[in-house]
Amino acid sequence: MNVHDEMSDNEVLRAASDSLSALPVASPPDVEAIMAKGRARRRRRRLSAAAGVSVAAAAGTALALGLTGALGPARTPGTIRTTSFTLVSNSDGTATLTINPKELLDPTALQSDLAQYGIPAKVTSSSFCTSDPAPAGFAQVVPGQPAGPGTGTPQPVAQPTITIDPSAMPAGAELSVGYFQLSSGEQQADVVLIDTSSYTCTSTPPDFNSPPPGYDESDSLGLRYDGPSPAGP
Amino acid sequence: MSNEQTEFAEFFRGSWEPCLRAVVAVVGSPQSAEDQVAEAFAKAWVSWRKVRRHPAPRAWVVRTALNTGASWWRRRRRELPLADHDVTAPGDLGGGLDTTLLTALWRLPARQREVIALRIFLDLDTDTIARQLGIEAGTVRMHLSRGVTALRHELTTAKNMEAGQ
Repeated sequence: MNVHDEMSDNEVLRAASDSLSALPVASPPDVEAIMAKGRARRRRRRLSAAAGVSVAAAAGTALALGLTGALGPARTPGTIRTTSFTLVSNSDGTATLTINPKELLDPTALQSDLAQYGIPAKVTSSSFCTSDPAPAGFAQVVPGQPAGPGTGTPQPVAQPTITIDPSAMPAGAELSVGYFQLSSGEQQADVVLIDTSSYTCTSTPPDFNSPPPGYDESDSLGLRYDGPSPAGP
Repeated sequence: MSNEQTEFAEFFRGSWEPCLRAVVAVVGSPQSAEDQVAEAFAKAWVSWRKVRRHPAPRAWVVRTALNTGASWWRRRRRELPLADHDVTAPGDLGGGLDTTLLTALWRLPARQREVIALRIFLDLDTDTIARQLGIEAGTVRMHLSRGVTALRHELTTAKNMEAGQ
């Protein structure tokens, strides 16, 4: 029997509702505890606001003295700018990452800054993590192709740029960004989705001409670009 | 207890379960969802004068819970960079469940899960979902359609396999 045509949208939604309704969930906690938690939260916010005034005053003083470097990298609303990359938060909820090929990528900063924009990522240096099978949905998380002629081919990209949509990230998955400095002086970044509960990492740079095991062309991305020093002899 | 407290308490008791189930549908982990929803209700109490006038206060709680989850996860990752994301495996949730459907649901993109959760647990119409998520009604319809299509595919495949056995 083929039941494909028998399920209407409402029937599918009802089945989803029934399955989720069968999950055991906790009874509501005591409402007094919730209200107390809210009051504690309000107190913390007031304290933070008071502390914020002091920080703002200090920042204003630093700016007046030309000491912005002492307060960390230069940042504008919606944009994180470091020496090795720029991350822009777009109005549609996506984020655009542009790598500066003249500098070595800072994986720790990139992972932390991606997280600030709601993009769970594992950014590793001299290592690359993959899952087999790969989680679905890479094309939705990293829509379109990166700017530049190097996508999928071993050609240098002047200014590697990719756009990431955190709302499309499947549950239980995160972006794996493996970064390598090649002996040629070039840099290579490989990007895939991994299942956070099951993945392995390797210190060997993946073959740039073929997707990693468990992935295909549509759910992996390789970027290769010039490094800070001239490539090759 | 003041009138305001009584009113919030009634809202809380009547809304806890649908809000929690909606958040479970999106985040996958009942334990994380419970923490996030409790935090969201605490925020709702802090802003109760605003939330009580909100056109869809339960949706406000769910949206807040989901945003809370994102910021918690960021903090947890900084503290434990190698910690796994704690989505519950459907097979671990006990017998009698349609694990195929739950697995398929949690594989959907986040936005599709949000739209489905708001529709089935809060019974919100398309326009209200669109306002809550800050997207166009047409985009809601697209996410709902794609999500339902993916779930239907998994369900019918599983049922056909059962029927063929």
